[in-house]
Amino acid sequence: MAANPMDQFKVHKIGPQIEISGIDLSFTNASLFMAISALLIAITLMLGTREKRIVPGKIQLISEMIYNFISKMIGDTAGKKAKPYFPFIFSLFIFILFCNMIGMLPYSFTVTSHIIVTLTFALFIFISVTILGFVIHGFKYLKIFVPSGVPLILLPIISVIEIISYLSRPVSLSVRLFANMMAGHTMLKVFGGFVVSLGLIGGWLPLSFSVALTGLEILVAFLQAYVFAILTCIYLNDALNLHH
Amino acid sequence: MKKFIIVNSFLILLGKDVHAAEAGMPQLDPQYWASQVFWLVIIFLSIYVLIDKIFIPKIRNNIDVRKDKISKDLESAKNFKEQAEKKLEEYNLLIESAKKDANKILSESRQKLNEDMQIKRAKIQKEIDEELNNAEKEIQKFKNDSSSKINMISEDIASTLIKDIFGEELNKSSIKASVSQSIKDYESKNQ
Repeated sequence: MAANPMDQFKVHKIGPQIEISGIDLSFTNASLFMAISALLIAITLMLGTREKRIVPGKIQLISEMIYNFISKMIGDTAGKKAKPYFPFIFSLFIFILFCNMIGMLPYSFTVTSHIIVTLTFALFIFISVTILGFVIHGFKYLKIFVPSGVPLILLPIISVIEIISYLSRPVSLSVRLFANMMAGHTMLKVFGGFVVSLGLIGGWLPLSFSVALTGLEILVAFLQAYVFAILTCIYLNDALNLHH
Repeated sequence: MKKFIIVNSFLILLGKDVHAAEAGMPQLDPQYWASQVFWLVIIFLSIYVLIDKIFIPKIRNNIDVRKDKISKDLESAKNFKEQAEKKLEEYNLLIESAKKDANKILSESRQKLNEDMQIKRAKIQKEIDEELNNAEKEIQKFKNDSSSKINMISEDIASTLIKDIFGEELNKSSIKASVSQSIKDYESKNQ
């Protein structure tokens, strides 16, 4: 039998041990792939913005397409007020997208398949959005837990549900991305293992599955980055324009 | 300590215990959590700053420049179209006036030609009439002359005949009277 399918998620130290006040902050393979993603993003955008042509080339077109895509997404979900947060959403989307896509390469490491990474993003977004809401609307921001047009008797129950759903936002946001990436990569690994163990005679079926799953996973990689970004936009919209 | 409590509470939330990490999911092994968060913050922050300060302004500038160029081009194209339409109108006017001029010239020349022709025809007619008149007059004159000559000739012939036949000379006035009388008779008979 092939190696444990969960081995691909193991984090191991690269280089020397770095310890600051007793906390292990060593450079790991996870950090390496974060850096590779960031570097690739920088290279792509650098090539995309190097030439200023009226009719864009391929790489310029990609960067402009991502720009327009995110711009439209923010405009549709959060309106004009969200414009100052455009660079953050842009970075968030492109970083998650590149991490997911690089994770699709064999023997690479998927940064976003780790709950701690997605949770960091989700908690940061959750806390920032909540602070933003209170800064903009003051105590009126609590209205978000009291939807309008609800009968008075149901209001306590609805409010409790709203509070729970609000508090579970970071969990759902982080677990969605992490679980999708982990499940997909585990499946790929399991089917890959079947190919090896079934050999030349029976290995074709899991191999074809593997190919199909790879296509699906590329789609999921894009989709999850998109979902993460658009949910961030929606939360931002709640804080900027109090609809309830 | 705080971190440890957070870690533990999160694990309870997921319904797993710390030992499960070694058996199943490396994600739940908290050994490198701090490291991952640390490096994630550093790397994401740097790429965020790069994107915010360099790349987004560049892309935005590119897109704005393109939009400007497109709208300017469209505007100039519109201007050119308007100019072309103006020119076409002028051209049409020119053609129309030229056609009018041509028609005018044509009709004028035709009229002139007709007038000329009429004048010339009248002149020629007049000349012909004059000629005819002259000819008639001459003929008349001739006629008159001839009749008096005939009278004279017949008088001469009559007197010579009388002289030859009778051997004597008759009174000239009586011969003249009888000749004119017989010519008159002849003429009245022929009429």
